[in-house]
Amino acid sequence: MDTVRAHQEWLIEMEAESRSKQTRFINGISAKLRRPMVTEPPRHPYRGAPDFWNAYEWGEQERIERFTSNFKSVGGHVERLASMSDVQRFIADKAKELGAKYVIRQNQPELDDLDLEGAIPEARISVWNSDPEQYWKARAAEADFGVVMADYAAAYTGSITVLSSKDKGRSVSLLPTVLMAIIPVERLVTRLGEIMVHFDEGGRESLPAGIHFISGPSRSADIENDLTIGVHGPGVVYALIVG
Amino acid sequence: MSGGGHGHSNGATVKERADIALNNDFLRKAVKFTTERLKGGKLKATDEHGNWEEWRERGKQIRLHTVAHLDYYLNQFVDNARANGVHVHFADTAEEAVHISLSIAERKKAKTVVKSKSMVTEELHLNHALESIGVDPIETDLGEYIIQLAGETPSHIIIPAIHKNRYQIADLLSVDAGETLEPDTQVLAGYVRRKLRTKFLEADIGMTGCNFAIAETGSMVLFENEGNARMVTTVPKTQITLMGMERIIPSWADLEVMATLLPRSATGQKLTVYMSGITGPRRSEDADGPDEMHIIIVDNGRSLQLGDPEFQELLNCIRCGACLNACPVYRHIGGHAYGGTYSGPIGAVLKPSLQKNVAEWDDIANASSLCGACYEACPVKIPLHDMLIYLRRRKIEQGHGDKVEAAGMKGFAAIMSKSGRFKTVLKLGKLGQKLVARNGEIRIKVGPLKGWNSYRVTPSLPKKSFRDGWGTLEAELRHGLQEIAPEARARMEQIVKDRAKGGGHGHGHG
Repeated sequence: MDTVRAHQEWLIEMEAESRSKQTRFINGISAKLRRPMVTEPPRHPYRGAPDFWNAYEWGEQERIERFTSNFKSVGGHVERLASMSDVQRFIADKAKELGAKYVIRQNQPELDDLDLEGAIPEARISVWNSDPEQYWKARAAEADFGVVMADYAAAYTGSITVLSSKDKGRSVSLLPTVLMAIIPVERLVTRLGEIMVHFDEGGRESLPAGIHFISGPSRSADIENDLTIGVHGPGVVYALIVG
Repeated sequence: MSGGGHGHSNGATVKERADIALNNDFLRKAVKFTTERLKGGKLKATDEHGNWEEWRERGKQIRLHTVAHLDYYLNQFVDNARANGVHVHFADTAEEAVHISLSIAERKKAKTVVKSKSMVTEELHLNHALESIGVDPIETDLGEYIIQLAGETPSHIIIPAIHKNRYQIADLLSVDAGETLEPDTQVLAGYVRRKLRTKFLEADIGMTGCNFAIAETGSMVLFENEGNARMVTTVPKTQITLMGMERIIPSWADLEVMATLLPRSATGQKLTVYMSGITGPRRSEDADGPDEMHIIIVDNGRSLQLGDPEFQELLNCIRCGACLNACPVYRHIGGHAYGGTYSGPIGAVLKPSLQKNVAEWDDIANASSLCGACYEACPVKIPLHDMLIYLRRRKIEQGHGDKVEAAGMKGFAAIMSKSGRFKTVLKLGKLGQKLVARNGEIRIKVGPLKGWNSYRVTPSLPKKSFRDGWGTLEAELRHGLQEIAPEARARMEQIVKDRAKGGGHGHGHG
């Protein structure tokens, strides 16, 4: 493991270099701004969205309608379902319809309860990071379906937010061909700012490595402006609003 | 199609490069189509959103505030990113940034680097450098992948392969695939998806740019539509992010404002398909995300704009490309004619102001009609048209301007300060033009009238002049008949010589 140690030593060396350079670099900026370095947090009178916007809010029904029309307008699919058993039935039917053989899901209690294993016996269902020996990125890459619980969703932009953790892989919402994102209706808010506020309030230490806002299927217009769906990420995305 | 090799426009001046572009019919149509579509999308999106002026003003204030306290916020970002486990590096110059990137690649014994779109890495010509040490850099954005195969540089911030049609793309990808691919968008994109999937899974390093960096939490934020930036930050074991030192915003609350302005201005979307906030490498218990994450903070001329009252606002730019789409000049000549990493109005101002050596300032500031459409389009209200004028003035003040124009301006001032002088000049002009005017038109293509008269004719002076109007033309006429200024010619010859020496054209990586 000598190379690992050598690499660690090199990183430590680089950090020492970086720290000494930091002072010079930041002081250089202060000098250009023609004043000593600011050490107190500056007063930021324009922080965040304008006030009129922060007061903007839709009722539940409108949130659902707006989310649905926004998500559909970019090529996504939306289903309004009454309960988790409807969710189970919907995913199982889609799996049969599309012939899904490999399904990967996050390791979350709501998804345990969904019992996809029982509902789609013909598919192999993997549970993210449930076995440390597995190469999980490959399991996600081969999957036809990725199933996740949304942490939040915003109606105004038609966005689903997913946060990473030990049990919630970033790959699960990215590598499979089809993404199934379950949104409990109480997690659907009006504005992006209602989601961002959690990250500001929780602060650095509360944040996971990956926070992803997903607003429809992967797309590109790079070839003659002709819209192509499913370039690198999932080409088919279902938002299942439940409750 | 005639467009084959025009991504590399070899002309020496903006005007020459523009001539090549103007002759390329497809390019002009494609650029016009795309920019008009993007512009239309933007107008629709901003209209739908409502209160657009208030959002622009807010965006401007946030950027102004952050840049005015950049020392504080950058320092805060760095401390927080380190606390998240990121290895932060500082690079004053492009060379330093390249050196750090290569050291990491060498330490990691990397064979391939998968890259998501980053204008900073274009600025550094990093792909070239990686190749020089035997590392294969792979652009993974669909448009970037295409132009990398063609050995070209991006011609538009948002749509890099805007200048290629599907037949040219099919030819390029067919060579790559070793089989003939139909010129069908779905087929071509499908091929790239399959091809790059394996590249993502094999790559040793993922390399990204950075749209915003959040000071309070040390997070870096990426906006994209394809999912390749997520791939690059999720799959490889090592992530390197190159970030311009001014990309900072204070908080996630401020990100909401940027997320409102950027996609609407760039493509007319309410939000890009993916917006990712990455806070450090993977946590030890996570099963994906990079083990090791580096952020290289790049100056490379940016600090030259700090403390400069005329240009500091350039640092507010959020790289949306709206000014390109709005610009009548860009729509006609396309991105490569600007001869730099950044094109359009923002490129016209950024390029010279990122370069310390004033003598190398290009003639790019003149490739603008000063109509102000760029300012109107800018989501953070950067007064680009004013900056173009400052730039022209500075070129002249520092003796690097067009001598004819300078002489013209001086002459104009001298003449206009006394009405008697003006009268004399008018007389002289009427005399002088007798040499060149025929039937009330001047068609001669020499001196300052060369460019103008290539496409139009200059009307001769009316017998009875419009007294307070157009004395400059007169002054130009007098000076212009002496042919091009020797200094200007020497400068142009030097550029051509340097190009031959360097073997390239100063902006390409192909």
